[in-house]
Parts: sequence; C-alpha cells; structure tokens
Amino acid sequence: MTDDPRLGPPPIEPLSDAAWARVERGVWAQLDAERPVAGRGAVARRWWLVAAPLAAAAAIVAVVIAVGRAPEAIDEPSRVVTGAAPSSVLFGDSHIELDAATALVMSHEAEHPIVTLERGAAWFTVAPRQARPAFLVRAGDARVRVVGTRFRVARSGERIAVEVDHGRVEVNFRGGEVAINGGQRWSSDAPARVVASAAPPAEPPPVASPTAAPDPEVPDAPRSPPEPAPAPAHHRPAHHATAPAATAAAPAAPAADRDAAEYDRLAALEATAPRDALSGYLKLANGTSRWADLALFAAGRLAVDRHDARAESLLGDYLRRFPHGANAADARQLLLRLQAAQGDKP
Amino acid sequence: MPTDMVVGFPASAAREHDLELARRAATGDRVAQHELFLEQRANVHRALFRILGANREIEDLLQDAFIEIFKALGSFRGESTLSRWCQTIAVRAAYLAISRRRPPAVELSLVEETVASDIDLRRHVQVREAARRLYAALDRIEVKQRIAFALAAIDGKSLAEVAELTGSSVFAVKTRVWRARRELMRRASKDAVLAAYLEDLDGGRP
Repeated sequence: MTDDPRLGPPPIEPLSDAAWARVERGVWAQLDAERPVAGRGAVARRWWLVAAPLAAAAAIVAVVIAVGRAPEAIDEPSRVVTGAAPSSVLFGDSHIELDAATALVMSHEAEHPIVTLERGAAWFTVAPRQARPAFLVRAGDARVRVVGTRFRVARSGERIAVEVDHGRVEVNFRGGEVAINGGQRWSSDAPARVVASAAPPAEPPPVASPTAAPDPEVPDAPRSPPEPAPAPAHHRPAHHATAPAATAAAPAAPAADRDAAEYDRLAALEATAPRDALSGYLKLANGTSRWADLALFAAGRLAVDRHDARAESLLGDYLRRFPHGANAADARQLLLRLQAAQGDKP
Repeated sequence: MPTDMVVGFPASAAREHDLELARRAATGDRVAQHELFLEQRANVHRALFRILGANREIEDLLQDAFIEIFKALGSFRGESTLSRWCQTIAVRAAYLAISRRRPPAVELSLVEETVASDIDLRRHVQVREAARRLYAALDRIEVKQRIAFALAAIDGKSLAEVAELTGSSVFAVKTRVWRARRELMRRASKDAVLAAYLEDLDGGRP
C-alpha cells in the first residue's frame, strides 16, 4: 500500500522466461538464416518461418564448424549446430558429443574454455584441468564449472538439466550454487536439489507454462522414460544458497524442507496426475510455511492449464492472501488472461 | 530524470565496455551477441512496452528490434550509451510496426469483486483500466505524436531524451506531445476515467 494518491504510469509487465526464450530463438534463427545471404529483404515476422527450412536443411547436412580441429585452429567463436543426427566435436582436449537438434558456441574468455549451449543437449568429457582455468558451460541462467569430468547439459528454453557421469561440477544458477558429483543430476526446476541419476537421464522437461509454446527445436521423444513436467520456473525461495551434494533420500528433514520436498514431488506429479497434484498443492497451501505461497499459486496456474473452473477463484485467493507474493505479478497476468479469454467467448 | 550513468561505474569504463561488446557482437560472436541481448533486453522491452501499452504482439517487435540492433552494431560509435542506442532502434521498430498496422486497442479487464477487498489490488486495477483507455485513445492518434507522448508523458523521459530517441528536434517533440495531449483531452471529455488519468500523469511532471 502507498500513501501517494497518484496512480502513476502503468507498471511494465515482465515477459515470461518462455517468451524471452522464444524471442531469443527467433533472433538467432533469423540471424543464422541471413548470414550466408547478404542484403536479404524484410525481417520475417515469425521465427518458425525460418526455423522450418533451417531444420530441413540441417537434417540433410549437419552444419558443423570446427569439428575435430585442434584448439589452436579454432576460429573463435565457433558455432556447432546439429540437425537430425548427433555429432561430436573436439574443443581443446575436451570432447563434446552433441545430440541431434543441438546448437552450441565454443569460445575462450580469460583463458577459460567456454561452451554456450543455445539449445538441445550434449555430453562433455573434460580432461582434468589441473592448474589450467576451469572449463565452463553456460546454458540459459545456469553456469557449470568443471575441473575434469564427464557430464551432460540439456537445455529446453530456459530450463536446464545437468547430469554428471563421473567427476564433479559446480552449477551456479541465478545466484545459488550446487555441487554435483558423479552419479547425480540437477535440474533448474528444483535448483536447490541434487538427486541420484538413477534411470532417467537429465533432460529438461517440456515447457508447461501457460504462456509457453511448444518447442519444435527440442526432440519430442526423450531417450528413456520422460521426466515428469515440473512447475514452470516461477519464483521460488532459495532455501539453500549453497546446497550440499544431497541425494534424493533426506530423512528427518525439518518442516520447511519437508514442504519443499512435497512441493517438488507435486511439481513432478503434474505431468502424470495433475488432479492429484492440484489437490496436493491445495493441501500444502493450507500450511503457513513459505511454500504455501508457491503452492497456492501453482494450484491456480495448474487449474488455468487444465481449464478447471476453480482457476479464477484460486488466483483470486492467492492475490488476497499473498498480494505481494513471489508470484503476484504472474497471478495477475494469468487472471487477466483468463478473464480476457472468458470475454472472447460468445 | 532517468540516466544511463551507472553508479560506481565510470562513464569511460561503461563506454569502453559498450564499444567492446558491440565490436565483438558485430563480428558475429554469438557469445557476445547473447551477452548484449541479456544486457539490453529489459531496456528494449521497456521502450516498446511504453509505446504499445501491453505485451500483446511485443514478441515480434522485440525480435525485429534485436535483429535490427545486431545488423546495425557495426555503426555503433559510442557517441551515446549502448542502452540509448538500442532504445533508439527499438523506437524506430515500434514506429514502423505501428505505421504498418496499428495494433488493436488493449483489451484488459478485471472483475472488480475479485479484488475489491484489497487496496493495492484495487489501485492496480484502476491503473490497468486507466491505461487501457489511454492506450485505446493513443491508438487513434498520429504515430509520432503517440510515441512522443508515450516516452515523455508516460515514461517520464525529458524532451531532449525523446528527441534523441526519435531523431527529432526538441521543438518537434514538444509540439507532438502538446498535440497528443490536446487530442487525448478532447477524447477524455467523454471519458471521466481517462480525463482523471491524464491529470494524474500531468501531476507527476516536474
């Protein structure tokens, strides 16, 4: 609340991560499409107009720059794009195996070899760096620091997943840092948790945000049982600034951690049992921990996704209970969108 | 008045940073382009949002603006900050887009009952409704006047800044803002909410 009687200018409404990812992909696709042909005409209105022919072209010939070159020979930065087939590339004494439909850029900054993963996924086998500057991988808002290991980074829009085969990497994600050891994996959907790799590989799940469009650049079929789709990357409390390398089992956790674990469980449940997830969120929202805020918003968001009649009242409840909550702006946007959609109906 | 000077970051260092980043990005260095995109996206989005009034259709415009920015980076000489330079291109992209096809009036509404118990929310709804009417009116006035008004009267930029962003003289900008306000006031004679909001925005002027 404020004492200033003036309304002032309307607030700038932020764009979602998914929207920014779409804009970014569109920009790169357009720049790539224009690169070989100088002086092309007007800017295309939609990125998929260029993405489709690009994908087709990439399926025939994987455009691989600097594959297999010695580090000295790489004209930096080098961009590698795979089409329908996977490929591999040497970057210094590190070996990178790219999945199909993957794009990354290799460069050096202050002696650090840096790979920027634009989309897709890749396994990195990094020789021990010893006294040399660490090998870094950037993927969206995640920074992976490596001193020698084999690991995989996958990116779908702004969602990142890291899986370590052996060795150890450190992931810095939006200010929080976690260490991931061999046999463990991490996802930006639960950035404070590191879990045992087990059977499912680390793949960012499909974007499930109400504002998100399907990502045609990410292969539809995961290589093994699909990872359940967690909640979109809405604001969550950073309950561990630096999380230890923990495993999935965490007995005797304090109440807040139990709620955090429950929230993550429900987020994972959304893809397979959304009704149960919604009920669970509502139960969690009855509590008083900081997770109640997130759970109530998640319930509203999920209800919107499922065209559940409770969506409007849940979002209204959220805004009444948490007018300054972490997701208040998003809740208002969802509510507006919902009501605009209702207004469009005859 | 908004400023591009970052506290604790000398202007010369900022200029060097801008020039170096622009130089790298202009060569097609995708890492540098990505860095520039992340640095400037909020800045470009803000300019476009102020002109359009909503995020509807803004993704295409952001895409157009950034493509133009990357194409034109070779001409960046550091005479203004990179943020100002990017905003100039964003404003031009908005001008072209609105000139080609005027966006439909913003259609936003909230059910009053949902939020009536909360003062902040009620205020939020009032702003949204007033802004909806304002931008619906702006949709119907000349594009240059609309842009000048949006940047000066809504975003609070100085006439000199708007002149720089639009490549016009201060006098021309002043005239456009005045004409836009006059036209808006004419329309507001039948719309009490819009009239009050225009007064509200005027009240915030230095």
